[in-house]
Amino acid sequence: MADQGGLEGSQPVDLKKHPSGIVPTLQNIVSTVNLDCKLDLKNIALSARNAEYNPKRFAAVIMRIREPKTTALIFASGKMVCTGAKSEQQSKLAARKYARIIQKLGFPAKFKDFKIQNIVGSCDVKFPIRLEGLAYSHGAFSSYEPELFPGLIYRMKQPKIVLLIFVSGKIVLTGAKVRDETYTAFENIYPVLTEFRKNQQ
Amino acid sequence: MTSASRGCTGCRSNSFERDDVRCHLICSACGLIQDYDGYDAQLGGINGPEGTFVRVGTAGTGTVYTYKQRKVFGAQKLMDELIGRLGLSDSPKADHVKTMVANITEKEFGEGNWFPILIGACAYVVMRKDNKPLPIAEVASVICSDIYELGRMVARVVDFLDLKGPEKFPEFDIVWSFKRAVRNSSTLSSVESDTLEIMRKQGIFLIQCAVKWFLTTGRRPMPVVAAVLALVAELNGVNMGIEDAAKEVHANVSTSRLRYREFLEKLVKVAGVLPWGEDVTVKNVVKSAPFVIEYMERKSMEMPDSKKRKKVDGVIGVDLGDVVSECLRKDVEYGTDGYGVEGDSKCFEVEQNGGIVRAGDDDDDSDRMKLSHESLSLMYEEFLDKMRHKKSTEGSAEIRGKKRIGFKHHACMDWWNGKSDLSKKLLLKQILEKDVGLDPLPPSFVTGCRVYTRRREKINAAKARINRVMHPSRTDLGESGDSCSFDSVHAKKKRNRRQANDIDWEDFIIETLLLHEVKEEEIEKGHYNTLLDLHVFNSGVLPEVLPWKAK
Repeated sequence: MADQGGLEGSQPVDLKKHPSGIVPTLQNIVSTVNLDCKLDLKNIALSARNAEYNPKRFAAVIMRIREPKTTALIFASGKMVCTGAKSEQQSKLAARKYARIIQKLGFPAKFKDFKIQNIVGSCDVKFPIRLEGLAYSHGAFSSYEPELFPGLIYRMKQPKIVLLIFVSGKIVLTGAKVRDETYTAFENIYPVLTEFRKNQQ
Repeated sequence: MTSASRGCTGCRSNSFERDDVRCHLICSACGLIQDYDGYDAQLGGINGPEGTFVRVGTAGTGTVYTYKQRKVFGAQKLMDELIGRLGLSDSPKADHVKTMVANITEKEFGEGNWFPILIGACAYVVMRKDNKPLPIAEVASVICSDIYELGRMVARVVDFLDLKGPEKFPEFDIVWSFKRAVRNSSTLSSVESDTLEIMRKQGIFLIQCAVKWFLTTGRRPMPVVAAVLALVAELNGVNMGIEDAAKEVHANVSTSRLRYREFLEKLVKVAGVLPWGEDVTVKNVVKSAPFVIEYMERKSMEMPDSKKRKKVDGVIGVDLGDVVSECLRKDVEYGTDGYGVEGDSKCFEVEQNGGIVRAGDDDDDSDRMKLSHESLSLMYEEFLDKMRHKKSTEGSAEIRGKKRIGFKHHACMDWWNGKSDLSKKLLLKQILEKDVGLDPLPPSFVTGCRVYTRRREKINAAKARINRVMHPSRTDLGESGDSCSFDSVHAKKKRNRRQANDIDWEDFIIETLLLHEVKEEEIEKGHYNTLLDLHVFNSGVLPEVLPWKAK
């Protein structure tokens, strides 16, 4: 970072992959893994400092680590859910770290069937959107109930992604198993959104 | 307890013989026939089915109805009660609701806490299908449920009946809600019908302006209805505060107040075209509201720009002088009635050919008009007269011990024409085509833009600080960046107290991200946690050359 240019530190957006020029930011990755052994949750909760367990409230140990900053739900069956990672690699690394912690607590934990279950992304198209118009013309896919929720819920069929579209131009995409589904869904919806954009004076 | 269990009534012997034909017990010691009181009702008499008779289908004692009969009866009773409380009992919609409940439950109906929610959801769906929606908050309050719980049930009903698309399940009609609120309001029940009709039309006009101004998009509709109801009540001299209006339409008072304020802010912006527009603020805009709404109404009756342009061939832009004088002159074309429009027409009278000249060309921001001095003074005098009149009426009302708010009814008749199409229910497309003198961006978008700008300035300031440290000799670097940033960085009142060279947690994060070569466009979005995780605390990705190997 020797000069002003060094501060930019940017790589241009691949316009072939992202014709809109906007790349959704991944905000949360949810993954599951099977530790393939029965777990004594009470024992884990007592042994690990970063764990909380309240069987009356929820039947799993909630464990957190700082790096990658994630939260895991560890069930007595040995199944584990890892949430909060910002990339697929981070999610896998975090899941491995949790499995290692369980191993260190004396359980014969393995690392079986790791799978990304959900990817949540968000972006901003930077123009206002007339949600009423979008809901009217895409009624088969849309649900817009301002009495209950301020955004328009768009259920895309292919890829099977749910988009939350807000009047401010902010978009949330959820339901993807791989990040390309998120990107494709956004590129599919972008031309539709431009149809209902409010022109800025 | 039977005789057998107590022993013989004559000799206390416990030995009995049974007469199966007569079903009597006879004491085997003394031969006394016992009084047997343990008979069960036998279906079909003595030749009926044998075995232990178990009655099925009833619960408890003292009823001959089956469980299902009782359940259906209870359900019908509950449906009648709730439909009555929703005000639908006299309409054919009551039968539709019952039929829908019956279809969904396959005529089983139901008991329990979920059943009133289903009835409420069906009532909501039936009315919404008929384009006469009930506010979900009102239905929820009638069935004593949460709106989200009711909303989930509505979604299930809609899915079950496959009501997809605006044809089968139209969107919530805010205009209808306003009309319904005016009709059902207990406060407005004592208002004269003429005034009520004017209020209704003004309200529809303002509601549709709110739709155009993005005040309803992505927001709960009923607080907007409450805000408009309170505003038109004030304009027509009806004593109805925002709290009363909010209560009547089952809206949150603070949200309604917020929407009211937002509406006034928009009116202030429209008032910018008035000669005294610069003096109009949110606090005094209600006093100028008649003029503002009159302007909006007249403007909405203009021909669309494209048509007008064709008409004024060869002239760049629209000559507002023509438009306004055409719109505002005392003319039967717009059906102006005899309620003293003379004053207004005089007020807006302008010199022909340039009394009012549009300042710019196509730009909407250039809606400000240049008015002739005569018309300016006339308009302002009119405004002052009205204000004086209002003050005097307020004063006399105060003397009587009751302060009336708003304007007198006759005053309203002066400025309200009611002939604009926006006073009737229009489609969204038609609303958007209308020009009411203002076409703003959604408030959430404007806020978003402001936040982006603030972050951009923070980024520039952070870059300048970094450069200053990296190049101490070049003292000129970044001076301007810093100074420009603090204007907006310390925009909030709290931060104004700080010293000018104070930097906060956000600045540190931005600096850290910049030093980790994160794209500025990414920082601008403000997802700091994500960026920190991906670029700063990213221990998941190992560096290409490990530090100990590098040595």
